[in-house]
Amino acid sequence: MASFRKLTITGTLLFVTAGLAVAGDSPQEQRHELMEDTGGGAKTIGKMLEGENPFDAAAAMEALQTWAKVAGQFGDLFPEGSETGFDTEAKPNIWSDREGFDAALNAWAEAVDAAIAASPQDLEALGAAAGPVFKKCKACHEEYRVKDE
Amino acid sequence: MRLPSTWPRPAIVVASVAAALLLAFGWLTRPHTLSARDIPPHVPDPLNGERLFHAGGCASCHGAGLEGGLDLPTAFGTFRVPNISPDRGAGIGGWSDLDFINAMQSGVSPDGTHYYPAFPYGSYTRMTLPDVLDLKSYMDSFEPVSALVPGHDIAFPWSIRRGIGLWKLLYLDASFVVPVAAGQDALEQGRYLVESVGHCGECHTPRSQLGGLLRNQWLAGAPGLDGEGRVPNITPHADGLPGWSERDIVRYLKSGFTPDYDTVGGSMAQVQENLARLPDGDRAAIAAYLKSLPPLPDPPD
Repeated sequence: MASFRKLTITGTLLFVTAGLAVAGDSPQEQRHELMEDTGGGAKTIGKMLEGENPFDAAAAMEALQTWAKVAGQFGDLFPEGSETGFDTEAKPNIWSDREGFDAALNAWAEAVDAAIAASPQDLEALGAAAGPVFKKCKACHEEYRVKDE
Repeated sequence: MRLPSTWPRPAIVVASVAAALLLAFGWLTRPHTLSARDIPPHVPDPLNGERLFHAGGCASCHGAGLEGGLDLPTAFGTFRVPNISPDRGAGIGGWSDLDFINAMQSGVSPDGTHYYPAFPYGSYTRMTLPDVLDLKSYMDSFEPVSALVPGHDIAFPWSIRRGIGLWKLLYLDASFVVPVAAGQDALEQGRYLVESVGHCGECHTPRSQLGGLLRNQWLAGAPGLDGEGRVPNITPHADGLPGWSERDIVRYLKSGFTPDYDTVGGSMAQVQENLARLPDGDRAAIAAYLKSLPPLPDPPD
C-alpha cells in the first residue's frame, strides 16, 4: 500500500507540474507570451508601413490595442526569483536598475497610448503614431534584454 | 665582452639563456610601422570619411563627440575608450597622417607602443590607405574635447604591453578572410565593409584563449565579450540566419526589425543605427556578402 501511495503522490505531483507547464504560468513564460503578442502587432503595422500589405485602419487599431494590453501587464511579471530560467532573455539589470526599467517601460506605454489617441486613418498617420513606439521597443531591448542563443 | 671569471658556470649559462630570451622577446615583439614614404599622395574626401565613420561605428565606443570614457569590461581587465577628438592634449589633434595610419592599421601609438586589440585595428588593417586618410579628414572636423580619460585597468601579465607584439605575430593579418571571385563587385564591397571597417568579426567571431579571432569560425557567433549572453551566428547555417533573405538583412540593418518584427537589441542597436546611415548600396552589399558566407554551426562553448 505504501508504494501505491507513493506512486499516487508522484503521479499527482507529475500531473500538477505538467498542468503548470502547459498553462505557462511562470512569469518568464507569461513575459515571453506577451512579447510574442507584441511582435504580432509590430508585424501587422510594420508590413503596412513597408508597403507589403495595404493600409487597414481597423487592423492597425487592433494591433495598437494589443500593445496597450501588454503594456498593462508586462511590468508586473518581473518578481524576485524570476531572473533566470525558461530561457528568459531578461537582463539582470532589470532587477538592479528597476527604476530605469520601469521608466523605459512606461515611456513605451505612453507612446502606445498616444498612438491610440491619434487613431491613425491613413498610412502617414500610422507611421507618425507607431514610429515613437518602435523607438521605445528598441530602447528597452538595447538596455534590458540579453540574447543567449 | 668577458663575464667575471668568478661566476660559477651554471650561473653563466642561466644568465646567457635569459639574455638570449630577452633579446628574442624584444626582437619578436617590436612594433612594426609604416614610414612617411609609404603613404600615397591623396586628396582626402571627408564625405567618404563620414560614411566610413558610420560604417565603423566609431561614435558607439568613442562617444558622439569622440570624447571617449566608456568602460569595456573583458576577461583581460577593463579597457577605457580613449578621447580621439582633435584636442591636442587629451585627444589626437597633434597626430600626423602617418601617426593615424599606424594606429589604425598597425595598432602602434605615435610614441611607438602597442595598442591593445580591444581597439579593433586587427580589422582596420584591411582598410585602404586612402580610406584611412578620408576617415581622418572627417574626424578632424570635430570639436576638440579637453577631458582626459584615465588609463586601462588590465591584469598581469596582459598589463605588459610589449607582449602584444606576440599577439600581433599570431593574429594580426591584413589578408581578407573569405575569398571572393574576381568581378564580384558587390561581394567585394560587402566583404570590405564587414571584414575591415565594420569590424563585425570582432564580436560575431569566436576567439582563442589569447583573444585572437578564429578565422576558421568566421562570423559563427561567440560569447558576449562583456561576459553576457551570446552574439549570434550570422552565417547562412541553420544555427545562424538560415531563413533570412538579402532583403530581410537589408531591412534589419535599415530599420532594426527582424523578419518576425522583433527589434534589434543589446549593443547591436547602436551598430544598426550607424549602419542605417550608410547609402542603400552598402547595406545591400553587406547582405550579399553575409548570404555568400560558408555556413558554419555555432562553435562549442
